[in-house]
Amino acid sequence: MDEMLVAAQDVKKVFRTGDIAVEALRGIDLEIGSGEFMAIVGPSGSGKTTLLNLIGALDVPTGGRIVLFGRDLGALSRSERAELRLRSLGFVFQAYNLVPVLTARENVEFVLELQGMDPKKRRARAEETLAELGLGELADRRPSQMSGGQQQRVAVARAVASRPGLVLADEPTANLDSDNAQALLQMMRRLRDEMGMTFVFSTHDPLVISYASRVVTLRDGEVLSDERKDTCG
Amino acid sequence: MTSASSVESSGNLSIRYALRSLGRSRRRTGLSVLGVGLGCAIALFATAFMRGGQTMRVQAISQSGYGHLRIAPAGWEQSRRDELRLQDSAAALEAARDLEGVAVVAAHVRVQGLLAFGTRVAGVQLLGVDPAAEPQLNRLVRTIDEGRYLQAGDEGAVVVGKALVERLDVELGDDLLLTLTRADGEMEYAMLRIVGIVSTGSRTIDETICHATLADVEKLTGLQGVAEVSVVFADPQQVAALSAELAQRVQGDEVLTWREVLPAMGGDEAADRAFSSFFIVVVAAVVILGVTSAQLTAMLERRREFAVLMALGLGERKLVGLVLFEAVFMGALGALLGLLLALPLVWHTATAGIDFSAAMGDDMTVMGVFFDPIIYADMGLWMLPYAFGLGLCATLLAALYPAWSATRLDPAAALSQRDA
Repeated sequence: MDEMLVAAQDVKKVFRTGDIAVEALRGIDLEIGSGEFMAIVGPSGSGKTTLLNLIGALDVPTGGRIVLFGRDLGALSRSERAELRLRSLGFVFQAYNLVPVLTARENVEFVLELQGMDPKKRRARAEETLAELGLGELADRRPSQMSGGQQQRVAVARAVASRPGLVLADEPTANLDSDNAQALLQMMRRLRDEMGMTFVFSTHDPLVISYASRVVTLRDGEVLSDERKDTCG
Repeated sequence: MTSASSVESSGNLSIRYALRSLGRSRRRTGLSVLGVGLGCAIALFATAFMRGGQTMRVQAISQSGYGHLRIAPAGWEQSRRDELRLQDSAAALEAARDLEGVAVVAAHVRVQGLLAFGTRVAGVQLLGVDPAAEPQLNRLVRTIDEGRYLQAGDEGAVVVGKALVERLDVELGDDLLLTLTRADGEMEYAMLRIVGIVSTGSRTIDETICHATLADVEKLTGLQGVAEVSVVFADPQQVAALSAELAQRVQGDEVLTWREVLPAMGGDEAADRAFSSFFIVVVAAVVILGVTSAQLTAMLERRREFAVLMALGLGERKLVGLVLFEAVFMGALGALLGLLLALPLVWHTATAGIDFSAAMGDDMTVMGVFFDPIIYADMGLWMLPYAFGLGLCATLLAALYPAWSATRLDPAAALSQRDA
C-alpha cells in the first residue's frame, strides 16, 4: 500500500426516524491506501452502503472522523464536499444510474464538463475512455438502447474518465449475469493496474470478493475482519 | 467521427441535458407551456386594451381644450379661482412655444356669467380664447354646425353650443345679453352676437360651449392677462420630461399635468391601472402556481437522477442553474405561444375596436371631455418584451421553489432508495 487515501477513525453513524435511532456504524477504524482493490462485505444492514457513502463524502458521520485525500470531511461544507467528489472520486451504482436523456458519450462527458474541461478535450477523453473499455461502438446510444452489462460498463467509464484517485462502487455486479460481472471486474482491475486507481466495492457477490485484494467484513456496523490477499481473481 | 457530430457535441452539454429533460414528459411540458402561453395572451390582451384606452383617454382630454399640460397661476390648483392671472402671460406663452416637441399652445381666460335672450336665461362659463390657436387645441370647436368659429379681430362675437342655442331658443346672428361680475365687484353687461354654432354630438358638451375672444373677456372682466396656457405635445410620452423642463422656464406660475387639472380623471386612470395590474398579477399567480406544481413534480421524479449527478460532483449552483434554465426555456416558448394567441385578438381590437356605445349610451362625456365610444387596443413592439418578460419572470419565479428543493436533496438518502 502506497499513499493513504482514506483514514476513518471511530466512525459512527446513527439514523433517526422520529424517536427511533438506528446505529448503522458503531466505531469503524479503516485506512485505505492508493492502488487497493478492496471489497466491503457483510449481510444486509451491516453498514456497507453507509460506510461507502461516508467515504464518498455523500454523507457526514455522526461521530468520529474521516480524512479523504488529506481533508477532514467533517470540516467541509456541502459545496466543498461536492467539489472534492468532482475532482477526486468516481462512483458506480448498483442500478447503473446513467442519465437517460444523454448518450453513452454524453454521460461520460457530463462529469468532465462539470470539471470545466474544454469541449474538444472532454469529447476526446470520453471517446478514448469508452474505447479503452471496449464501448466505442456504443458511444451514441442512449441507456435505453443498451443492455444492463453495457450500461454498467458505461457507468464505469463515467466514473473513471476524469482519472479520479478513488472509485467507489456500490454493489456494481448485483444486476449483472456472471459473464458481464466477470468482464466488468476484469476491466476495473485493469484500470487499477494501468492507471493506479483505487477501487472500493460494497458487495455480496463472491465473484467480486474473489477479485478483491482486500476484504473488509462488516457486521452490525462494526468491522468483523480485515483480510488482505496475496493473490486474487 | 463526423464533422456534424463534432459541431453538435461542442455545445454546452448541460443545456442539452436540460432541453432533453423537458422532452421526457412532453405532455407535462406542453401543458406548462400552454398555461404560460394562455396567461401571457390574457395579460397581453388586457394590457393592450388598457394601454389603448389610456392613450385614447389622454388624447380625448388633450384635444378637449385641456392640453397635456397647463401653465396656471400659482395657487390655482388649490383655489380653482377663475380671476387668477399668470404673472407674466407673454413670458409663459413664449416659454411654452419655445419648448421642443410642442404642437399647440393656446391661452385662455374664464369667467362665469348669465346669457339671456328675451325671458330665457342660461348660466355659462364664458371662455376667452385665441381664435387662431383654439381650433388646433380643441377638436370640439371644429364641429361648426352653422356660421363660423371666432376670428382674429372679432369684437362682441360669441360661438355657442347647439344645446345652448336650443335652450335659449336663438339662432345664428342673434344678440345675447351677457351679465357678469367684474373683478372690482361691479356688474357688467354686454351684447354678444352669435357668429357660430357648434354641434359636437354631445348635448352635455354643447350646453357648455360659449367662446369669445381673449380681448373681449379681458375688457368685460377688467382683468388683464391670461389665466391659463394649455400646451399639447406631438408625443404624449414626453409629457413627464417636458413638464419638468417647462416648470424651470416658467417663473412664478405653476405647470400642471392634465391629471392635476382634472384630478378625477387622473383618479380614474390610476384605478384603471390598478385594476389592470391586479388582474395581470392574478393571471400570473395562477400561471406561476401551475408551473410550480409541474416543475416540482418533475423535480421529484428526477430526485434519484439529481442525487446521482450530485454524487458525481454537480454543485448546488449548477443544479439550480439547470432547473432554472429549463424554466426559462419553457417561459420563452410560453411567451412565444402567448404572442401567437394574442396577436390576432389584439390586431382585431386595434383595428376594429370594441364599441361601448350600446353600453354607455350616446353621450360619452365626462367633465367636458368627449370620449370616443369605440376603444382601440394598442398594438406595438412593446408586446415582445412584455410577453417575454412576463413569461420568463413567471416561469423563473415558478421554478425557484423546485430549484431550492432540489438543492436540499440528500444524495445519500435519495440513492439509498433502491430501484424497484
